[in-house]
Amino acid sequence: MNIYTRMIIVLTSIGLISGAFLAGVGTLTKNRIALNKQREINEAIMTVVSGAQISSKIYEERDLAVYKVNNEENELLGYAVYAGGVGFQDKIYLMFGVNPEITRIYSLTVLEQKETPGLGAKITSEKDFLQFWKNRDCTKEITLHKPAVNSPEQLSPSEVNIITGATISSEAVVNIVNLALEKIRALKNEGKL
Amino acid sequence: MAEKTISNEFTKGLWSENPIFRQLLGLCPTLAVTNAVVNGLAMGAATTFVLLFSSIVISSIKKLIPNQVRIASFIVVIATFVTVADRFLAAFFPDISKALGPYVPLIVVNCIILGRQEAFSSKNPVFRSIIDALGMGIGFTISLLILSSIREILGNGTFFGIPLTGAWFKPWLIMILPPGAFFTLGLLMGIFKYLDKKRK
Amino acid sequence: MELVAIFISAILINNFVLHYFLGICPFLGVSKRIDSAFSMGLAVTFVMTITAIVSWIINHWVLIPYNLDYLQIVSFILVIASLVQLVEMFIRKTSPPLYQALGIYLPLITTNCAILGLALLAALKNYSFIETIIFGLGSGIGFTLAIVLMAGIREQLDMADVPEVLKGPGIALITAGIMALGFLGFTGMLK
Repeated sequence: MNIYTRMIIVLTSIGLISGAFLAGVGTLTKNRIALNKQREINEAIMTVVSGAQISSKIYEERDLAVYKVNNEENELLGYAVYAGGVGFQDKIYLMFGVNPEITRIYSLTVLEQKETPGLGAKITSEKDFLQFWKNRDCTKEITLHKPAVNSPEQLSPSEVNIITGATISSEAVVNIVNLALEKIRALKNEGKL
Repeated sequence: MAEKTISNEFTKGLWSENPIFRQLLGLCPTLAVTNAVVNGLAMGAATTFVLLFSSIVISSIKKLIPNQVRIASFIVVIATFVTVADRFLAAFFPDISKALGPYVPLIVVNCIILGRQEAFSSKNPVFRSIIDALGMGIGFTISLLILSSIREILGNGTFFGIPLTGAWFKPWLIMILPPGAFFTLGLLMGIFKYLDKKRK
Repeated sequence: MELVAIFISAILINNFVLHYFLGICPFLGVSKRIDSAFSMGLAVTFVMTITAIVSWIINHWVLIPYNLDYLQIVSFILVIASLVQLVEMFIRKTSPPLYQALGIYLPLITTNCAILGLALLAALKNYSFIETIIFGLGSGIGFTLAIVLMAGIREQLDMADVPEVLKGPGIALITAGIMALGFLGFTGMLK
């Protein structure tokens, strides 16, 4: 057999076998990978809107997604908002829950971040950061309270606590939330929510 | 070169031909994923898996592959097993898969794997290739574990996520940041060279 | 604005070598002299920009529409391998001295994790077409910057009194660590 024919036959068969094999592996794992992603979103929704039972994605654009959240009796509890933006090191993705009138933030959780471990990465810490996001009044812009305080009672209703040593990461989260609030208000006015 | 015994074939990957410290291969994943022990272990296991199966396949079909297209064939075989490892981690260990990010697919270009195929599996029988792949894979994994243990303990005060040190210890943040990776590996290379010299 | 942020971030903040640890082999291997480091940097930048374009097209026109995402790794690596081959032939024809300077490292661009890393990261970050090109170009410039700086330091290091056991890769890695430390200062400049 001619060497070129052999080269082509060998490469093609290796390619075909590998393609077929991967198609099998791809199909087998596909559902599970999709399920993992779905579960992560669902858990986040349940964290940010307490009592959440049924949720459905009603809006999506780049770095922003809005989920409508209902309780067991199918009453509207509010919206879970997935948003992302530039942090200290790389993009930060987070989710927060708001009431149907968009006047109050229920709670916030961070889904993805690559901030400095031990400093900026404290945005994922309940004690240092997240507990101060419970029940915020968002009729005004959310602002940062400097210097850091120890308990949520020391903050005014639309303030959140800063992380000492990680001003930029704290500011980044506040900016992402404010921007997302502005966008969903606009969507609400257009009747898209 | 004299015929090596099977046990030699295995142990050479651990010390005398250790992929990281001796051959300086596979440094990208070594530096990138060793900020926590669990990541280092997952990376070591995934690499060993790919190395082992690629070696089995390539040493079994080596006679069929024409010399001119051998590199291309090796790469396709390696990429296939890397995809399997990547999908498996994403499906069953989503947290680890997320932490390792693009470094799992990047096993494809880990020079250790292509290097072993070219230097060993394509010239040796299946059984020897398996032993060689296991030795190299385990040597790589152990090196990753040493590096990630040092970095996690000093940089975070934990080992496998379990707190080790008391409150008195202020973690050296720098160790889990990129510079810490370079410093630790650089110093370890020096220590490795020193030990090697003493042995001789 | 977004484009400027991607560009600067790829060069300084998330530098391919000093932050993502991609392309360490050429970074340590071809950084002994400034001129060859610069040529290597140019070759990588060139290949990176082309890879960014081609991998985006494959990903968005073939893999995603036909749900073939499990073929991503295989197809990217094959495309990169053939691209590098083309670049190699091109350089060999047009500039023999450059070809000689790069020696064995040019074929090694195929297994240079920086190139595949670029294709994968761009896909992971879900960049648009233009953003991907900017990301590829910026990453290449970032790589060039790191490798040329490293070569400059190493030329001086030849004359320094380095402990015997750290000679070679040991001191090179520690030098890279100090550079990475310096580059940490750039984080947070985009907000």
